[in-house]
Amino acid sequence: MITSLQVTPNKIKLAGGNDTLTIEWSDGHLSAYPYRYLRDGCPCANCSEAGARTPTADSPFPILGAKPLRPERAELVGRYAVQIYWSDGHSAGIYPFAFLRESCPCVDCMVKGKDRPCA
Amino acid sequence: MTKKVSAQDVLNALRVVQDPDLRRDIVSLGFVRDLEVGDNRVAFTIELTTPACPLKDQLAASAKQAVQALGVADVQVRLTSQVRAAKTGKDLLIPQVKNTVAVASGKGGVGKSTVAANVAVALERTGAKVGLLDTDVYGPSVPALMGGNAQPRVVEGKLEPPVEWGIRIMSMAYFLPKGEAVIWRGPMLHKTMQQFLGDVRWGELDYLLMDLPPGTGDIQLSLSQTIPLTGAVIVSTPQDLALTVASKAIAMFQKLNVPILGIVENMSYYVCPQCGHREEIFGHGGAREAAKKLNFPFLGEIPLDPAIRLQSDGGRPVALVDSTAYGKAFHAVAGALAAQISIVNSQTGQDISIE
Repeated sequence: MITSLQVTPNKIKLAGGNDTLTIEWSDGHLSAYPYRYLRDGCPCANCSEAGARTPTADSPFPILGAKPLRPERAELVGRYAVQIYWSDGHSAGIYPFAFLRESCPCVDCMVKGKDRPCA
Repeated sequence: MTKKVSAQDVLNALRVVQDPDLRRDIVSLGFVRDLEVGDNRVAFTIELTTPACPLKDQLAASAKQAVQALGVADVQVRLTSQVRAAKTGKDLLIPQVKNTVAVASGKGGVGKSTVAANVAVALERTGAKVGLLDTDVYGPSVPALMGGNAQPRVVEGKLEPPVEWGIRIMSMAYFLPKGEAVIWRGPMLHKTMQQFLGDVRWGELDYLLMDLPPGTGDIQLSLSQTIPLTGAVIVSTPQDLALTVASKAIAMFQKLNVPILGIVENMSYYVCPQCGHREEIFGHGGAREAAKKLNFPFLGEIPLDPAIRLQSDGGRPVALVDSTAYGKAFHAVAGALAAQISIVNSQTGQDISIE
C-alpha cells in the first residue's frame, strides 16, 4: 500500500450540540468532545509545560458578561492537525488528528483503556 | 467489409483497456472523450491524468486494437492530459498549484537537489507545468543547477519567479550576495516558507517540486504545517547507512500524514565511459530493498556519472536530453512519480469540512 495514512476527519462541527465539538471520522467513527475537555487538553507548549496545567472554568460571575467557552473557528494545519481558536482568546493549540482520535471520550474508546492525554 | 458500429459498441469494447495504476478501465475512469463514430471510422481522445504517464503509448495501442477488433478499419486515437489536483481544502495558500511534492533525504550529500532539479526538468519535457522551490535556506543550490541569469522581480506586491528551461524557480540564493550566509532561527525560516509559497506568483502549475534541506528540521515541519503536501519523495544512496537515516525522514512524514510517493536510489552504480566497466561504488539495490520491505513504491535508480556533475556545474540539467542512460533514468523516475501522484489523488478521501 502506498500511503498507510492515518484515519482523518471527514467533518468537524464546532457546534456539535450539548457544548461539544464533533468529528465524523473517515472510518465511520463519531467523536464528541466537550469544550472544556478539549480546551483543558490543549497540546500547546505553554499548556503542556510540566506543572502548568490548571483546569480552566467558566466565569463564576456570568452576569458580568464573560463569554461561555466555545471554539469560535478552526483551521486545518497541513494534512495532520486542526488549530482551534477558542472564545477565551487561546489559539496556540495545534491538535493532531491522531491525538484527537486517541482522546475520543466515547464509551467504546474509553473501554479500550488507552492512556488518556486529556486527563 | 464495412462494419457499422455504435458509440456504445465502442465504449463497451474500450472497457477492456485497464489503467494498471488506477486499477479501473478507461471508460469508467472518464478518460474517453470526443468520441466520433463514422462509416468504418472511429476517432476519440484519451485524456490521461498526467502528460508524463509512462504507459500512455501502451494504453493508446490497446485502445486502438480493442476498437479495430470490432471490425473498424480506421481508428484514430488522440492523447491529451489533464493533471488532477490533489484534494484541496478551501483557503489554500497556493490554490493554482495542483500538486506539491517534497523531495527529501535523511542526510546530506545524497544528491537530492540534483534529483529534484532533473525530475522537474523531465516532467516539464512531457508538457507538464512545473515549479521548483528551493527550501534549503542555508545551502541553496537550485539556481546554480538550473543555470541562467534570470532574477526575481516584484510584480503587484509579489515575487515573479525566474524561469529556466520552462520551470519557475524560487530560492534564497537569488537574495544572497555571493559569499554571504543565512544565520537564522526557526521563526524566520517559517515566515520565509510561508512567503515563498504565498507571496510568489507561481501561476497555474501541475507540479511544484520542493527541494528540502537534509534531515528532519524546522523547514520540513513548516512546510508540512503550511500546506497539505501531496506527498514526499525520499532520495537515498544505496548504502545501508543512508537508508537508516532516511527512515527517520520517512517516520517524520508519516507522523505528519504526508504520503510517501516513493524512494529513489541515487548514485546507484558507476559505468566507466572508457571501458564500460560497471562498479557499484556505494553498493547497489539497498534502496529498492528498503522500499520493498517498507511497502513503498520504488521510483528508480540514477547512475553515478561524471557527466551529471559536469553539466550541473554548467547549469545544464542532464534530463534536458533523454537519450543518455542517466537522462533516461531521470525520465523514468519522473514518469513513475507522476503515476504515483495520480494514484494517491485517486485514493484520497473527501475534503475535510469544518463548520
